[in-house]
Amino acid sequence: MNPATTPRPRTGGDAVLEALEREGVDVIFGYPGGTIMPFYDALYGHPMRHILVRHEAGAAFAAGGYARTSGRVGVCCATSGPGATNLVTGLVDAMMDSIPVVAITGQVRTTLMGTDGFQEADVCAITQCTTKASILVTDPGQIYTKVREAFALARSGRPGPVLVDIPTDVLKAPYVPEQNPPRKVNDVRPVASAESIKAAANAIRNAHRPIAIAGGGVRDPKAVKAFREFCALLGLPHTTTICGLGASDPNDVHGLGMLGMHGTKASNLTVHTADVVLAFGMRFDDRVTGKPDRFVKGATVVHNDIDATEFNKIIPTDIPLHGDAADTIKAIIAELKTGHVPRFDDWATQAKALGGPLPSDVAKDGHLSATDFLDQLFAVLPAKAIVSTDVGQHQMWTAQRFKPNAPRDFCTSAGLGSMGFGFPAAIGACFANPGRPVFAICGDGGFQMTMPELATVKRYQVPVKIVLIDNRNLGMVRQWQELFYDERYSATNLSDNPDFCTIASAYDIESFRISGPEDAPSMLEAFLAYSGPALLHVSCYPDELVWPMIPAGGVVEDLMESKGVNA
Amino acid sequence: MSYDLVVGDPRTVARVINMAHRFQCRATRVDSTSTETVTTAHFEFAGDAMQLDRLRAQIDRIVQFEKIFVS
Repeated sequence: MNPATTPRPRTGGDAVLEALEREGVDVIFGYPGGTIMPFYDALYGHPMRHILVRHEAGAAFAAGGYARTSGRVGVCCATSGPGATNLVTGLVDAMMDSIPVVAITGQVRTTLMGTDGFQEADVCAITQCTTKASILVTDPGQIYTKVREAFALARSGRPGPVLVDIPTDVLKAPYVPEQNPPRKVNDVRPVASAESIKAAANAIRNAHRPIAIAGGGVRDPKAVKAFREFCALLGLPHTTTICGLGASDPNDVHGLGMLGMHGTKASNLTVHTADVVLAFGMRFDDRVTGKPDRFVKGATVVHNDIDATEFNKIIPTDIPLHGDAADTIKAIIAELKTGHVPRFDDWATQAKALGGPLPSDVAKDGHLSATDFLDQLFAVLPAKAIVSTDVGQHQMWTAQRFKPNAPRDFCTSAGLGSMGFGFPAAIGACFANPGRPVFAICGDGGFQMTMPELATVKRYQVPVKIVLIDNRNLGMVRQWQELFYDERYSATNLSDNPDFCTIASAYDIESFRISGPEDAPSMLEAFLAYSGPALLHVSCYPDELVWPMIPAGGVVEDLMESKGVNA
Repeated sequence: MSYDLVVGDPRTVARVINMAHRFQCRATRVDSTSTETVTTAHFEFAGDAMQLDRLRAQIDRIVQFEKIFVS
């Protein structure tokens, strides 16, 4: 008798699964445990794809990577207590970067809740402040509705994570079909008023030194298209936040690169000099503004966001445009075309001239410079590649150098800066984008946080290419220690790192090793030519820093291009 | 600053109080009543004017989350 095909009574677990199917879910990243077993029992023999990760944090990050690179809702699941709490960082990560993720967690049985039961944690309370909503389902008849509502909420307006917590007795209870009719979603998207659109167009017509900034709200392809059309129409200098990378047309000569702490000199100086700042789908994060009362001082700020709480939150808004980025930009274009359409090519040329090539430290003692290596990598990266990064120096070097064709081609933990994100997020990206090459660019610190996911890669033959930039240090923390803590290198030395190629080999994953500059071209070629999962270990010069840099809370005049040298 | 809240989830009251403290404001008075389906609450907050503005905007946002469903 085949247990997968033997009839069994249907339960709440089946209702969850059916609701996921109705939402178009094709893959779930998860890890089983006691209280979520009825759901896993329903999964047994079911065609829904479940990816068994090796730590729940990997499940949440993979769901985030899936969502970031596809625009679809990423799904993760875990058991109660430690399983659920291990998801939390990934959920906060999704909240910070407005990524739609739904987490399904098991909970101890209803009668045990509040008694400090085995593997009990009040995950709804824990995640209440860090998700759009955390929903406890105590009625088996509500499972279907609540799971579907979670998806609607995750996708609606400014996207974000939603957690659905279901006690095990509710999951075990007899199946109750979907309510008929289901509750309707009232996802009325805000539309910027005609007056505000007119005011924005007039601000542009009266501008002498305008600049446009695209943030994570310009990820959607329609918004990207509108943003590029807008910039091209006006010959407008433009920049992006780290979440908006890829919104700019890589071939538009007026693109200035990334803005902020490690952004380009041209973008930071141009924003500082601008008289009109056109900010789309961005939230003026402190890594972008530095000292907020000096940022865009004196300029007219036209701020578009789908979330009205962002207006005046950090930077005073002169003209708020409350609406979806694509619709708003299209409306401004249409309004501009009713009259004079200004061109800013001369200003854009001046803005570009404010910058120059990215400053880089010179490699010493025969070591390979990480930035030299990344330049080599990005020069030969396949055209349709998706790049996921971890957090730290390699993340900033990549953000400065990688030119994604679209924002969804670049996947990074921006707002939360969660080390350990890059590798499992790349796994999620592989499942969301079958057939496309996916690269996980990681540092030696962050990779070790979620390294057990090598087992996931092996089991499912996930075709991810891992590029491990190993400088045997927690590089970014060390950089700050060098620059701001008198070179007191407290707890950042990782010189006793394991042999990562041996570790890859233990998981039966192919690996390649670059020990110095002379190995780089041939090993890179072999790594890229290899079909299937592989790890490229790149041993780098440990003292290389990320330049340029505006220190935290600083102003553009503080921009440094090398140690002790202001621009 | 005063705020009158009407939501379905009674835990929102706790969420708002937590948020007020995170914004370095204080909930100086909270009156709340819950039925099985509706929770109403009246808050009085004290704090820096700009922080109170941010707090109000964030509470508005939470309330909006509940309004995306119609029966």
